[in-house]
Amino acid sequence: MATLAFALSDAVPAPIADDLVRRAQAGDEAAFEALYRAHVGRVFALCLRLSGDRTRAAELAQDVFVRCWERLKSFRGESAFGSWLYRLAVNLVWMANRGDRRREARVLPVEDPQPLERPVESSPVALSIDLERAIGSLPDGAREVFVLYDIEGYQHQEIARMTGIAVGTSKAQLFRARRLLRERLER
Amino acid sequence: MNERERDVELPPELRQAVNDLPRSIEPAEDLWPGIKARIRAGTGDAGRGTSPHPSRWWIPLAAAAALVLAVGVRYWLRQADAWEVRPTAGVPRVDDAPLASRGTLRVGEWVETDDSSQAVIAVGTIGHVDVRPGSRVRLVRARDTDHRLALAYGVIHAKVDAPPRIFFVETPAGTAVDLGCEYTLETDRNGRGLIHVTGGYVEFAWSGMRSVVPLGAYALTRPGQGPGTPYVEDAPAGLREALVAFDFEQGGADAARRALAAARAEDALSLWHLLTRVEAGMRGEVYDRLAALVPPPPGVTRASAVVGDTTALERYWSLIRRIEFRRVILRGIRDIDPSTGLAR
Repeated sequence: MATLAFALSDAVPAPIADDLVRRAQAGDEAAFEALYRAHVGRVFALCLRLSGDRTRAAELAQDVFVRCWERLKSFRGESAFGSWLYRLAVNLVWMANRGDRRREARVLPVEDPQPLERPVESSPVALSIDLERAIGSLPDGAREVFVLYDIEGYQHQEIARMTGIAVGTSKAQLFRARRLLRERLER
Repeated sequence: MNERERDVELPPELRQAVNDLPRSIEPAEDLWPGIKARIRAGTGDAGRGTSPHPSRWWIPLAAAAALVLAVGVRYWLRQADAWEVRPTAGVPRVDDAPLASRGTLRVGEWVETDDSSQAVIAVGTIGHVDVRPGSRVRLVRARDTDHRLALAYGVIHAKVDAPPRIFFVETPAGTAVDLGCEYTLETDRNGRGLIHVTGGYVEFAWSGMRSVVPLGAYALTRPGQGPGTPYVEDAPAGLREALVAFDFEQGGADAARRALAAARAEDALSLWHLLTRVEAGMRGEVYDRLAALVPPPPGVTRASAVVGDTTALERYWSLIRRIEFRRVILRGIRDIDPSTGLAR
């Protein structure tokens, strides 16, 4: 998968990012706001694609940063701050989706992806509409694994560790997602 | 990877389209005020209401907030003045100083590469620009809402993951406006250039004139004349020559008619641009050819297109760009009818 020469986590020069994290860990809100500004786009995109709903994504992104603030002291710098934050986001959104789904299951047929389809007109990149629509129309589990594997670049083992599903399930969902995506785009 | 997975490996075009999806999407509204309120509540600020001096409890908070604001503003102002730059080959120069390792490019400073050097500029937090050999690029503005470079000459390759219209590249022939995209832009020392879009869209604007160049298309640019009519990668030579004559050599109606004759359904992008570029008396002729190649969507009529009805033209454009998108990303997978965008 393509990556930016400067990954978003590196977009703030490393020494400045490290300093911001240290200051935020010490309770400096201004430093935490700077971290928020640097990472909110990536976190929101992740929440949007995993949840399939723009309003819900904004709530989840807010939850991610609140959780990040609460757990910041446990960040030991063993990975880039961005990587740690995105894993935290995946975890939180995954768990929230499971909870939402249990509630929705009472009123929505689970195999019908339409009610969860994201409104395409809100996409900020017009060209991506066809593909975003196709991804948004994938069944939940398939969409989640596709987003994490094919868009975010995680491996099956990492997805399994973060979400608690089996590696085989992750592979099966990816297989299903890619097949459905091809079919829907080739229609 | 087992056989089943290989069977559904994404085709290269679709893989590229997935890779081109924006990794960063800004929420519609700033989430920070809500986050700030929640983390303050969680860190016990709310409990300060039990102070024995309730009328003055807010004073230290206000002072702290003012300090935080001052530090934050100072930090962001400092950040806003510069982007990171680093060499990727040889030794580029930043304002005549050799750039041996990661450095800073401040507003007003130039990055210059010779035949054997290259550099990459981080465009704030939204993407990057590769500065290819033999190029000269200046940082014009570095604000959250206006990321702006100037390409004096040479070649750059830009990839940006951001909402439209916050990244710009000025050239002697006009300004490339990012609409969420990836593209290569080149300009020679006389200001004559070419843009090739490999993801999303770019608008190239000059003096009120604009060309919208989508994924898989090119547009020539000329100083004093602005952007030429865009054309797709596989456009016939006859069409490209006619467009050059029309755009830059005062070829007029003759050149436009040669373009109409050479155009295929795949070239609807070019004909749509010609609709608003030819003399008013010739618009009907262009519309007729375009409609014969790509039937207009409901609501678009000859009369509305000829008078330049913006809604009708945008509707037509929407159809054309969707067909072109499918044609490009499904190349090699499905045979897409360029008149409809449907699989044949």
